[in-house]
Amino acid sequence: METMLVKMVSITKKFPGVIANRNVDFELKAGQIHALLGENGAGKSTLMSVLTGLYMPDDGEIHIKGRKVSFTSPRDAISAGIGMVHQHFRLVNSFSVAENIVMGSSSEGFLIDMHEAEKKLAAFSEDYGLNVIPKAKVWQLSVGEQQRVEIVKMLYRGAEILVLDEPTAVLTPQESRELFATLRRMTDRGKGVIVITHKLQEVMENADRITVLRDGQSVATFNVRDTNPKELAQAMVGRDITGSYELPEITKCETILQLKNLSAYGDRGQIALKEINLAVRRGEIVGLAGVAGNGQKELAEVIAGLREVAGGKLHFLGKDYTGKSVRQIVDAGVSLIPEDRLGTGLVGSLDAVSNSILKNYRLKDAGRGWFINWRSVRKCTDKLVKDYDVKLTRLEAPVKLLSGGNLQKLLLAREMSNNPEIIVAVYPARGLDIGAIETVRNTLLKQREQGKAIVLISEELEELFALSDRIAVIHEGEIMGTVDRDCLDLNEIGMMMAGERKELANGRVASS
Amino acid sequence: MAGLLAVKGRALTIEKRGDISKAAMILNPILSVALALLVGGTFLVLTGHDPLEIYSTMLKGAFGSAYGLSETVVKAIPLLLSGLAVSVAFRMQLWNIGAEGQLYFGAIAATWVALFHADGSRIIVLSMMVGAAFVAGGLWAMIAAIPRAFFKVNETITTLMLNYVAILYSNYLIYGPWKDPEGYNFPLTAIFPESAVLPVLGTSRIHFGLFFGLAAALILYVALWHTKWGYEIRVIGESPVAARYAGMNIVKNILIVMFISGGLAGIAGMAEVSGISQRLQPGLSPGYGYTAIIVAWLARLNPFTMLGVSFIFGGLLVGGYTMQTSGLPAALVSMLQGAILFFVLGGEIFTKYRLVLTGGDRKEV
Amino acid sequence: MKKFFVVLTLLIFATVALTGCGGGDKTATSDAGNEQEKFKVAFIYVGPVGDAGWTYAHDKGRQYLEKEIPNVKTTFVESVPENMADAERVLEQLVQEGNKVIFATSFGYMDAVIKVAKRHPDVIFMHCSGYKTEKNAGTYFGRDYQARYLAGIVAGKNSKSGDLGYVAAMPIPEVIRGINAYTLGARSVNPNATVKVVWTNTWFDPAKEKEAGKSLIEQGVDVMAQHQDTPGPVQAAADAGKLALGYNSDMRNFAPDAVLTGPVWNWGPYYVEVVKSVMDNTWTNEQYWGPLKDGIIDLGPYGPMVTKDVKDLVASKRQEIIDGRLEVFNGPLKDNAGKERVPAGKVMTDKEMLEFNWFVEGVIGEIPKK
Repeated sequence: METMLVKMVSITKKFPGVIANRNVDFELKAGQIHALLGENGAGKSTLMSVLTGLYMPDDGEIHIKGRKVSFTSPRDAISAGIGMVHQHFRLVNSFSVAENIVMGSSSEGFLIDMHEAEKKLAAFSEDYGLNVIPKAKVWQLSVGEQQRVEIVKMLYRGAEILVLDEPTAVLTPQESRELFATLRRMTDRGKGVIVITHKLQEVMENADRITVLRDGQSVATFNVRDTNPKELAQAMVGRDITGSYELPEITKCETILQLKNLSAYGDRGQIALKEINLAVRRGEIVGLAGVAGNGQKELAEVIAGLREVAGGKLHFLGKDYTGKSVRQIVDAGVSLIPEDRLGTGLVGSLDAVSNSILKNYRLKDAGRGWFINWRSVRKCTDKLVKDYDVKLTRLEAPVKLLSGGNLQKLLLAREMSNNPEIIVAVYPARGLDIGAIETVRNTLLKQREQGKAIVLISEELEELFALSDRIAVIHEGEIMGTVDRDCLDLNEIGMMMAGERKELANGRVASS
Repeated sequence: MAGLLAVKGRALTIEKRGDISKAAMILNPILSVALALLVGGTFLVLTGHDPLEIYSTMLKGAFGSAYGLSETVVKAIPLLLSGLAVSVAFRMQLWNIGAEGQLYFGAIAATWVALFHADGSRIIVLSMMVGAAFVAGGLWAMIAAIPRAFFKVNETITTLMLNYVAILYSNYLIYGPWKDPEGYNFPLTAIFPESAVLPVLGTSRIHFGLFFGLAAALILYVALWHTKWGYEIRVIGESPVAARYAGMNIVKNILIVMFISGGLAGIAGMAEVSGISQRLQPGLSPGYGYTAIIVAWLARLNPFTMLGVSFIFGGLLVGGYTMQTSGLPAALVSMLQGAILFFVLGGEIFTKYRLVLTGGDRKEV
Repeated sequence: MKKFFVVLTLLIFATVALTGCGGGDKTATSDAGNEQEKFKVAFIYVGPVGDAGWTYAHDKGRQYLEKEIPNVKTTFVESVPENMADAERVLEQLVQEGNKVIFATSFGYMDAVIKVAKRHPDVIFMHCSGYKTEKNAGTYFGRDYQARYLAGIVAGKNSKSGDLGYVAAMPIPEVIRGINAYTLGARSVNPNATVKVVWTNTWFDPAKEKEAGKSLIEQGVDVMAQHQDTPGPVQAAADAGKLALGYNSDMRNFAPDAVLTGPVWNWGPYYVEVVKSVMDNTWTNEQYWGPLKDGIIDLGPYGPMVTKDVKDLVASKRQEIIDGRLEVFNGPLKDNAGKERVPAGKVMTDKEMLEFNWFVEGVIGEIPKK
């Protein structure tokens, strides 16, 4: 009989205003790689934080090897044999591999025999094919090697159950293959591995079982033999979606925003956008679908001038804006509703009045000459706040005290008040309550009617289906294809999100 | 309650306050100073001194007479000017630790005018000295600002290191080319001509530099809170990401702000050399540029608050020497000053943070 | 955040009001009787009294003064920086506290002394090592170069290699004069001796001075001399097993195996003399530059490694200086670039010595020049 390493029963975890996990069940068997699949915000990380002792569940039980446990700290989880490899490694760069691994290990006393530890590590490394050099300094290692150090660290501390949070996000394909080979070697020795991910292909190739989470609930658990990417995509995305908004017909002839063979690099210097071609016309909402981290953020930043164009052209209203400054692009009428409302879109420590002129403080509206006329700015802010129903105690309170919904309303109010030509909205409804989501959607629709060109980036297909005239799907920095509102097909979009070109995806859907 | 603390997994942790409460803002400094005086007093008693007598000597020395008050103001002038200088940079998260060096360069430039170009009327010579000091301090700050703006070279280190360079350069001038020919080879420049000396208030030593400080505070206040440029500075300081998003030119503003910061410190140096010592000599500043950092911090970078804080600080320093004559060794004086600072700065934490009890099973609460 | 300073200011003034009254009453009642009678003398020091060097020597003088004239009450303020802003205020404060004679014991106080002296003609000021005087302000110093010459003899006799080191504070005439005298003394017994000089640019920084000493030892120096206010260089020499000369006070306690001897100040008798002359109204604003003969400066006690021969030699040279038969800066003298500065048969005048800005032959080091 298979040993049940982890059994989580009906786990519920609430945060103020959000239920991150609702009655989630989860089981990990010994000798298996178990993928935890779901969109961002589906509750994967919360569930694993509960398992690794970072959070205490509000309800539910955890059993490790059949024994009921209650973790109050990560230390408890570690001593129960659970090790977590985070997306951001917790290593000290100037220390050697051996020092990093021994450091903080509870099995060591006050004095550490480094020589002995190094020998032990070398043996470990050999055993699992990890190829870790104990004496090397962490800063000398590649990202993949650092990840291996993290894994060895967990094994050294006696982990039986290894949790990896999006381990391949930072790896090359070659390194990813090596990683899974290592993980397989571990499961062969009876350990259990949980991999948090949202990459369908990877899961199909490497996992034994898959649990899909959506909206904080566990949707289903599959054996990898019995499922296919289509089924998984559907499980991740949810119910069938039908356009719930009537989009009024408007003539959309003039192309306002045009990307021609546009390429850009990501933060780590990798190619993030590959020769993107995209045109948005007046009065059109183009939705951009894709699994998070496939170039959406970079695309929005390139359009707003925040990221350098590495190749290709960027046109607004027929004029070339490639390589122009943010200020010139703002002046051209491009408005970005950023993913990060507080921090990028709004300045948390400043009040609503100060935030209301972030984009147009240089213009006459804010005051004549060098000066700002705070009295008139305040009056305008007051009107904006009322128009968009932003609930705040005082106009002078720092905006960081506002809820997400009110932040987004304030942000929208400001951006729309500048009467932009082009709007790029990045995950505009993420984390908001129903009322605020309505405001966001209505605002976008109203702008569409007014003839603006809108790019809507979202990971909620429901939202994209509801609002978009067309949906473009992005995967690993490439547009897989564009689908018109009239021919939207969830499966097709799902396949494209998983990396199929439009024609292929279309064919596969048709034949299935 | 005792049971609560015993619940497993509970811990006392520090949490950031959302909005700063008024009560905390008023109570904190009172409690901090009271605590500082109490702890300092305990030390005094332990070392065989009468704390009441010592404290009263200190306060009388600094604030208790017209002379004491005037001297406190004299001490406050360079603190105010260099405090304003660093606060402008701090507001933009530029950690200009180099006010000391910029002050010296201001003093050097002012001395250059006073020694070699003091032919005009007093008002012209003094204006030239102020201008030269501002530009010299500003340019000195540029040496750190340019690498910071273009290559993100950490300005904390560079500005700090440049302090030593500036002080040694001033020593070089005093020991070398600018040595007073009638000074028996002692390290002093010649005394400034009358036209290069700032006028003083009555018989006191309060010099015109006070008005530089007041004017600088007023101008900075207006510039920061009522101009578009000041708005940019505040946004960049609070959130560079948002500033970039809004299309603000961060590089340009780093250069401008550092120039102004260095320039103000330079004026502090000019005021000190022209208003007080009337010649350049080693040890012009007993670390005003460093004390200014504390002053700026305690004043929360607010130009008007800075007036009060630098005045109180001036008093703390002036009172320190007075305490010595009532028999307190210099080391104990420094310790007492340190204790007061420690508690006031420490107390500041509790206006921004509060202690909370975390962890445990929420259902029990 | 304006409230912060409003509150702080209020608090401070409240305390002033409260304690101010209490304190005032106390002095008025208890101290009135005998304190008023006493003749008050004050000292301002550049370092702490515990520096074991310059300030320590002056403070011993102050204690001597208080002991010798029971009717004198002394006050001191230590660690006063040499800038106008602080020095002038401290002097002014000492005047206001009723001091009749004020000794300012560091060169950097000169301008402040003159300024305050002009304002208070009824108070006598004595400034150590300066050159400016007023009707009520004189200067005083000792001819420490005479003792340094003798120290040079001891060093020259005890050095094996002839490589001598000198940790010097600042390139001012006082220090340069000392280095030159020391070098001449050493070369009088060992014509090949050289003196390496390192500037610290500080009077009182024990760590830095010790570092400077170490750097000299690394350059092969086997006897260390110094012109600093602390025993730092002496300790550096002791740590390396080398010999050293102290300065200011008897430094044998800090390094018993290393200290040969050293120029030692004895300010006490002079302070007594000055205060007495002020009390008798015979004080004049002289510029006193006390020679070895007066005892204000002398060579301190010897360490055990100094042989009787050397002691005898120094004793005879000392007597020659006292008798005026030996002048330290007696021509012919060349500077360390080989240029003749004082022709044969000429003795340097006081003015020339006070303006010393060149090194004699045998010194390895630089003086910042125009």
